Amino acid sequence: MSASVFVKRCQVGRHEQRLGQNFARSLATHAPQKPRLAVAVVLNRAPIIAKTPTKFERAFYKYQARIQRALHNPFPYDFYFKPGSILEQQFNKEERIRERKAFGKDFVTEESSSSIEVERTDEDEVPAPRRTSADETKDVKDLNRQGSRNLYLLVRDSTNGKDEWRFPKGNVESGELLHEAARKQLTVQCGDNMNTWIVGRRPIGFFEEQSGISTDPLLTEKTFFLKGHIFAGQAQTQDSISDFAWLTKQEIESRVPKDYWLGTKDMLSDL
Amino acid sequence: MTSRIARAVARSRLAKKAPPVRYFQRDERGLPIPHIDILVRNTHQCRLQEHYHDTLRDDLMYLTYVHESKARPPPRQIRLTYDPEDPYSKHRKNLPVGGSQVGKKPSPPTTASNVVQLEKICLHSMQKGALANRSNLLGTLMAFRALTGETEGGGGWRSSGGVEIVRGRKNVSGWVRPGIPIGVKVELKGEKMYEFLGSLVQFVLPRLRDFEGVVLPPASANMNTPSGVSGVVTMGLPPEALGFFPQIEVNQDAYPRLYGMHIHFVTNAEGVGAQDKARALLSGFQLPFCRR
Repeated sequence: MSASVFVKRCQVGRHEQRLGQNFARSLATHAPQKPRLAVAVVLNRAPIIAKTPTKFERAFYKYQARIQRALHNPFPYDFYFKPGSILEQQFNKEERIRERKAFGKDFVTEESSSSIEVERTDEDEVPAPRRTSADETKDVKDLNRQGSRNLYLLVRDSTNGKDEWRFPKGNVESGELLHEAARKQLTVQCGDNMNTWIVGRRPIGFFEEQSGISTDPLLTEKTFFLKGHIFAGQAQTQDSISDFAWLTKQEIESRVPKDYWLGTKDMLSDL
Repeated sequence: MTSRIARAVARSRLAKKAPPVRYFQRDERGLPIPHIDILVRNTHQCRLQEHYHDTLRDDLMYLTYVHESKARPPPRQIRLTYDPEDPYSKHRKNLPVGGSQVGKKPSPPTTASNVVQLEKICLHSMQKGALANRSNLLGTLMAFRALTGETEGGGGWRSSGGVEIVRGRKNVSGWVRPGIPIGVKVELKGEKMYEFLGSLVQFVLPRLRDFEGVVLPPASANMNTPSGVSGVVTMGLPPEALGFFPQIEVNQDAYPRLYGMHIHFVTNAEGVGAQDKARALLSGFQLPFCRR
């Protein structure tokens, strides 16, 4: 050992001693504790259907559609249809129904009494319901629930005698890049049956806590959060996690500890 | 005292005339003209716009974030500032040192409010046949109208230019003369812009033969150019692509022939790296990019 390194170590040891007077006894040779580095993944299922418009929004859109219908340029029938063709008659029928829907019965005068029937073809598909069976059964493991909201993956950690909900998390080895560690730890924790994408290389958040290890209670753990998206597949329970759930922001609050919620809530989307 | 005031108030009320009833002015057909300008706003939810605000915006902020730990230093003054009184510099040009600074324009600091977003889409098409006969432009004009649904002042919006005719500016012998119509162009914003983008990436590009994506310049290409710092992504569509738009497909035989066009996606990104940000945004809308 060179002299300069030895002197430096002694200085570090003395510094540690001074600090230790207030907290805990430590030896002069006790090396300063480096915090543990961890990476967590905020795995997101983005909205898969458009937002349900509010009553006001629906009324607004309807009103604007009526204004547009009243003010639009005359439709060039000759350009789009051959005169007297079946397609034109069909279009006229449908147009009359739309006019009547927009402006009322009195507005459409001609042929208003005759039975206007538009045959439904096979192309008229019935849209899928906005609420799925997963919404009815409140199955938090199903990715098809809450289609218009953001869902986030939470896992139930049951290692080291703990039993709490958190985002999938793992340790970063020295020399490993954060986004690579995130991808690896996600597979380790939640299985490889997921098609995911980690958004960029930069962390979106940071959280510091006392690591729950009983041998070293003063050791802190610094967790960097990276955002990810799931496109297909599903999480699996492993030996380190006993359960998982896909939750909205509001549902997460009731499951996680208070300080964890305060440290992570701003990374989540309100929608 | 109080009764006197009360009487005075009553008198003043009586003396005040009722405000005149404002009747609607009538147009030549006897229909009422409203007192205010009526504007047509969004008539339905815009799916792609929602997708941008709910999903893309957050991801783009994380992807394009550049960390700056402290405030930027002021620009270095290499040359002495121009002094018009100095007899040396009085009649000389004050050229920037180190050549043109256009391609080196720094990007603004990353904040949550200047995340890259689409501002407008411009389409234009130049028709060589219009030089010989200006009526050759009519087909393109009609196709652009059907494609975009834009009219001049449409929906009461004065800012809406509709489909415009582009006229020649220069005199190039045997090719173009000033003032003659040679093409059409249209600017799309807001709801209609997202609708056009949606139909382009869903109906047209997947059906185009031999289209792998918008071709990127080689990785070694210099991006310190005016286009590299402008945040505008440009692509071209061949004539056969026009027939794949649903608006044209319904009566394709009504057009004399199909027309190609240029598409410019204008974003709010600026400065170094703006082109990359704009491409990241568009690939979020599923516009493919490829490298040869």
